[in-house]
Amino acid sequence: MSQKPYVPEYVGTVTKYVFVDSPNTTPQDVAAAAYEIAKGVMIKETCFGCQITGLPEDVDRIIAHLRVLDPYRIFIKDRGFPPGDARRCRADLGGARPGYLGHEFEMQLARYFSYGLEQTDKMSAAELKKAAGEILPEPEAIDAEIIEQIIAEDK
Amino acid sequence: MKSKDQPVRIAQITCGAEYSGIQNEITSAAEQVGAKMFYPDVILKDVKTAYKDFGLPVKSPDLKLAIARAKAIVEGRIEADGIFIASCFRCAEAAIVRNELRRYIIENSHIPVVSYSFNERTGASTLLTRLEALSTIAKRRDLMAREVQEGITMGVDSGSSTTKCVIMQDNEIIGTGWRPTTEVLKSADDVIELALEESGLKRSDIEAVATTGYGRFLVGDHLKADLIQEELTVNSKGAVYLANAQKGFATVIDIGGMDNKAISVNDGIPGSFTMGGICAGASGRFLEMTSKRLGVDITELGALSMKSEGGEGVPMNSYCIVFGTQSLVNALASGYKREDVAAAACHSVAQQVYEQQLQEVDIKEPVIMVGGSSLIQGLVRAMGRMLNTEVVVPHHSQYIGSVGGALLASGFIGKNKGE
Amino acid sequence: MVKVFIYPATSLILSDLVARFGHEPLGSAVKIREHIQSPGFDSPPIQMTSEDPQKGLKWAAVEVPSGIRGRMSLYGPLVEQAEAAIIIDEPDLSFGCMGCARTNELLAFMLREKDMPKLELRYPASKEEGVTFVAKIKQFLSELPGGTK
Repeated sequence: MSQKPYVPEYVGTVTKYVFVDSPNTTPQDVAAAAYEIAKGVMIKETCFGCQITGLPEDVDRIIAHLRVLDPYRIFIKDRGFPPGDARRCRADLGGARPGYLGHEFEMQLARYFSYGLEQTDKMSAAELKKAAGEILPEPEAIDAEIIEQIIAEDK
Repeated sequence: MKSKDQPVRIAQITCGAEYSGIQNEITSAAEQVGAKMFYPDVILKDVKTAYKDFGLPVKSPDLKLAIARAKAIVEGRIEADGIFIASCFRCAEAAIVRNELRRYIIENSHIPVVSYSFNERTGASTLLTRLEALSTIAKRRDLMAREVQEGITMGVDSGSSTTKCVIMQDNEIIGTGWRPTTEVLKSADDVIELALEESGLKRSDIEAVATTGYGRFLVGDHLKADLIQEELTVNSKGAVYLANAQKGFATVIDIGGMDNKAISVNDGIPGSFTMGGICAGASGRFLEMTSKRLGVDITELGALSMKSEGGEGVPMNSYCIVFGTQSLVNALASGYKREDVAAAACHSVAQQVYEQQLQEVDIKEPVIMVGGSSLIQGLVRAMGRMLNTEVVVPHHSQYIGSVGGALLASGFIGKNKGE
Repeated sequence: MVKVFIYPATSLILSDLVARFGHEPLGSAVKIREHIQSPGFDSPPIQMTSEDPQKGLKWAAVEVPSGIRGRMSLYGPLVEQAEAAIIIDEPDLSFGCMGCARTNELLAFMLREKDMPKLELRYPASKEEGVTFVAKIKQFLSELPGGTK
């Protein structure tokens, strides 16, 4: 086993992903808004929004500013690595880091989350409680087409 | 062929490597052999369709990703020189995927592939030989294509148990040397001396040198060898050369002192291979222990075992060398004959190799057994029965690495050293 | 404000909603950050070494594959810190840290076993379900100490 010492960089910082999926706000808008108040905090524009790396309080300040831009369509998540880190960068690895595909999956559902956020924001406490009591039906186990096909084959 | 400074690109299709703490071991082993690992880039849609098309309903997302990555390469959407498939040892789900992907890649592409199961103790040194072989097969097909030995060349095989040397001239073996490995360099010098003596040549007559085996780097530096090459490719070349099976398919089995190799070869070029064995119980080491316990020299174990019908009735399990030795002692104490116990030990080693390794390569005839253990007739018989075939043991099979080395070294005659 | 374990631990939406409604999400990123910001022996990419699967022995026995034990060394401490959990038990397409089904099964079990407020649900499949999805999470988080009402 190799025993080369490791000296970490960016100790004490946090990195957050900012994703936007909106007809009104582009990833560039999000990055530009972040740059405006960056004050030395690292901002990296990406195809889905931006990444912010800095001390936790600085990152929180920028996030609070960004959330109001398009509150229902901006999503924010913690990230372990700072942006462009060679250990995770697609350019160095030849392929996307595995987490990327997970984001891709959830972002396909972004419009449902956005709609949910918008609607629940208008609800009173009682309405929210009622909405929260709704049952999310179990997804159908087998595709209807498959059942039809089985029935047809049985005949 | 790729230029020498361009690294061999090996697609990494693994599950669990980062979380086992061994990703760096994989990356650095690759770098040491001039290769670069990369992750085949797929998008979510590819994963969904590939997984569905492949039809193996696994649950782990990273295994679905592995399937998609393999399909992207086989279907030509992503280029790779070689493929490294690996997953956590003891994971049944991943073992199924690993095996099926390996089979799928071999059947549907010409890209060399090696599969491996790791745990957190797997180090770069364990992976080195496998990745070196994979990278050689991928990059140096010209080297592998050699079928005839030319000039005067020498091959030195510095193995874990024995050191061997062969000198060849114009496609003939003219000198051999064999010694147990004690001090690596001294043993090498001794066997070279023996081979030179037999051939009647001087060291300065040798036009090119190749080294292989565990001590290949050390001995290679010492001899200023033209070629320093791992034993998987060298031995398989030597095997098909000596067995006159350079055209078509062949399977090479080498049960060594520390680990075993099974290599499938097509037209003299090694394809898939496995290397390993859980424990020394599945290697030649167990047969050494057996001969000691039976009070015969290892060279007599074969003849002794052939006096028995096969020893299948003797309870013997060499999965673990300690328990294997225990069953050996028990068998003798229960009154089984020495020849039956000798045959049972051979059968048990063959069975371990069959169960642990031959499941991972496609067995195609002829099956060629090489290495020192191929001289133990009982082992060859047991393997033949297991595979239901007549196993071929070529002449000089115990010198296989040296012969392969001498053969491949002829490609370096007249060239600059170190190429 | 409480620490809420999110499952999938790599979930973007759960990380967002938990923080948005005033709590601290506990997920993979927190532990990965800890690893890559700690000095030690160099072991890229995520600075996990052979010692991490050994640490995982606290949550999974030695016969459990190393990748599971390594992952449990990330998640085990987080589960211990967690004061609440939101579980979406269908992380079929969460790769990397949540890429191993066996780890995910063990993790879900540990969360269910722990005596703490828990919400289990699934991803929405329509806009209407999106409302129910967000409402459930928002309501759950608002009932936790220090939650945004």
